Amino acid sequence: MIAGTAFRRPRHEMMEYGYAGRILDIDLTAGTVAGKDLPEEMARQYLGGLGFNSSILYRELKTGTDPLGPGNILVFSTGPLVGTSVPTACRTEASALSPATGLFGTANSGNYWGGELKCAGYDALIIRGRSDRPVYIRVRDGSADILPAGHLWGKNAWEAIRAIRQEHGDPEMQVAVIGQAGENRVRFASIENGPFDAWARTGLGAVMGAKNLKAVAVRGTGAVRVARPRDFAAALEDTRRAIYSSPFYEAFKRFGTMLASIPYYEFGSLPGRNYQTGMPENWMESRTRKQLPALSSRGISCQACPIACAHWVRIREGPYAGLELKDMEVTPVIGFGAGCDIGGLPAIAALCGACQQYGMDMVSASACVAFAMEMYQRGIISRDDLGFALPWGDEEGTFKLLDMIANRRGIGNDLAEGTRLASARFPGSEDFSIHVKGLECFLADPRARWSTWTFGYITNIRGGDHLRTRNPVENLRYNQNPVPYRTEKFGLPDRVFEDLDMPGELKEAAFDPATRGVDIPVMSKWSEDLITIYNSLGMCIRPPVLHTVGPALFSRLTTALTGLDISPEEMAKAGERIWNTIKLFNLKHGERPDQSDYPPRFYRDRLAVPGKDPLDPRMVRAVLREYYRARGWDPETGVPTPEKLSELNIKRGV
Amino acid sequence: MAKEILVKPSLCTGCSTCSLACSLHNLGEFRPSRAYIQISKREFEGRFEIAFSSSCRGCGTCARSCPSGALKWVDFAGDPPAGQCK
Repeated sequence: MIAGTAFRRPRHEMMEYGYAGRILDIDLTAGTVAGKDLPEEMARQYLGGLGFNSSILYRELKTGTDPLGPGNILVFSTGPLVGTSVPTACRTEASALSPATGLFGTANSGNYWGGELKCAGYDALIIRGRSDRPVYIRVRDGSADILPAGHLWGKNAWEAIRAIRQEHGDPEMQVAVIGQAGENRVRFASIENGPFDAWARTGLGAVMGAKNLKAVAVRGTGAVRVARPRDFAAALEDTRRAIYSSPFYEAFKRFGTMLASIPYYEFGSLPGRNYQTGMPENWMESRTRKQLPALSSRGISCQACPIACAHWVRIREGPYAGLELKDMEVTPVIGFGAGCDIGGLPAIAALCGACQQYGMDMVSASACVAFAMEMYQRGIISRDDLGFALPWGDEEGTFKLLDMIANRRGIGNDLAEGTRLASARFPGSEDFSIHVKGLECFLADPRARWSTWTFGYITNIRGGDHLRTRNPVENLRYNQNPVPYRTEKFGLPDRVFEDLDMPGELKEAAFDPATRGVDIPVMSKWSEDLITIYNSLGMCIRPPVLHTVGPALFSRLTTALTGLDISPEEMAKAGERIWNTIKLFNLKHGERPDQSDYPPRFYRDRLAVPGKDPLDPRMVRAVLREYYRARGWDPETGVPTPEKLSELNIKRGV
Repeated sequence: MAKEILVKPSLCTGCSTCSLACSLHNLGEFRPSRAYIQISKREFEGRFEIAFSSSCRGCGTCARSCPSGALKWVDFAGDPPAGQCK
């Protein structure tokens, strides 16, 4: 043991309920472990999870910090609802300065890790400095140790999890861990959350690797207490009823995120061959939810989740026979299946497993392979550069390239920098490096599906990403814009609109009953604030939850659980405050207005799908200006105004 | 008619809502480590084991909260239905 300490002091009286009431603060340079009380004001203003991380990092991270240097700070925070039976309340947010974007790096993950941290007595874990040798952190009831990890260095994530569990004789210890990609500071390395989940995006695994930190293993036997049990039981029952009555509930239980695999093809909006074709050949016969039953017959849940959207996959025949894993989701299917044109679910499952073991974000990893395949297609790189051929859909080449990236060998060392930096090393490739702010884009192509969701790629606080901006009432089957660029069609039954847990004045501003149009700028602002509340309270944004639970139910749940009276208005305001704080973090660390834009391909190239024109830059700018107005930001620069910051009680530069 | 908890471990998805609900009902706080029903997670096998402690009084809170069908709160008169009864 290098360092350890125990804290067994009485909890702060006001933070006795819901929250654990304590923050763990570890300095790897000094080898010290400290605990401090959670300030009540931080809980009221920033809720938990993403909110805590934004508050801590905006205040403490200095301008000019090297994301891979000892000055970077990595924070894990759970939400107050985590550790309870509120459906899907299990999520933890991890954040730091991102080595991929140089801006706010953040990722959200479920599984059981957050519940263990809370039961171990902590709401948040702050990790500073850099150890001079490999270490891992073990957190258990009210204490933490920094332990040597020399014997774990070089192991992949699955091997390291098994080794740590064996070391402590605890097969259920929850482990956040990096694989080779994190150790080698691949700029899109993930932190794996157990064997199959991850804090995937924005390169947080590289931050851990740069700190010489292999893992954070947690185990807790403590309790989460309820301040007002009767109110909590009533709010919980209403939340359950709302989620279970969602029209998406049964479909999501059955197909999970693979529901998107067919409509995105039908719209021609898949990122086929690095956004060259929206409709990959043989897609419907090989890579949709229809092929899923041959591989998976059941779902696996995160803690407290009734949906169980993650498929347990078992490959019975062919070259990948014997493989079993969780996470046959639309992410690897779209990333590897469409982006790289890998032609079948078994191979995609195996690639998914490879990313889980190397500890690499499969969105950025598949995007880097697709980028390399397009360089190969255009003759910018050749068999001589790679040591093998890399045509579209080549499974063997994809596995080899992933290994080269994770271990930074050969051309893999260039691709490990992400497509933005890699494209600077390969002249002629800049035009098809598909990223926003250095983070590779994902999911639907905005040329073929213009919506709140795809508009959000350019307003997202973490860059080209789809998980912080989705319209809560997005309907995958509709793809219409009643007013071009400005609105999208609301395609759900009226009762969904009527029941939507959303402030009344926003509802009025966001919906036009005459055209059944959803105003994209207004809905973007709301969806970002709403998802921020989810990421701060510890809830999952799967559709059956996202469009049924909003500030009114969250106010009741949180108030009854914690005893802190937080009204629906204060809840909505907290979401907005957190989003604005992260925007200020980004501005502090050098974000420029011109970075809030799509890659050039979306404006210039026509998709190989009839009727799908390139985006009109003037129209995109007009929608962006309206979005900035809806946010109360300067409409040209997107900088929050002093009035808005004052309204949100944010002190700039503090 | 008496009620019993019908257990079908193969349907368990591992959400542990049962042990969360049990601990709140019987201990007055969310504390799965002390709940009368324990879900052991075998993550690498995608498998979950369900066990009841000797403190369990068969109140059925776990079964009524189970969203997967692994636990069911069923009427029981005479022979147990197919599956394992607690």
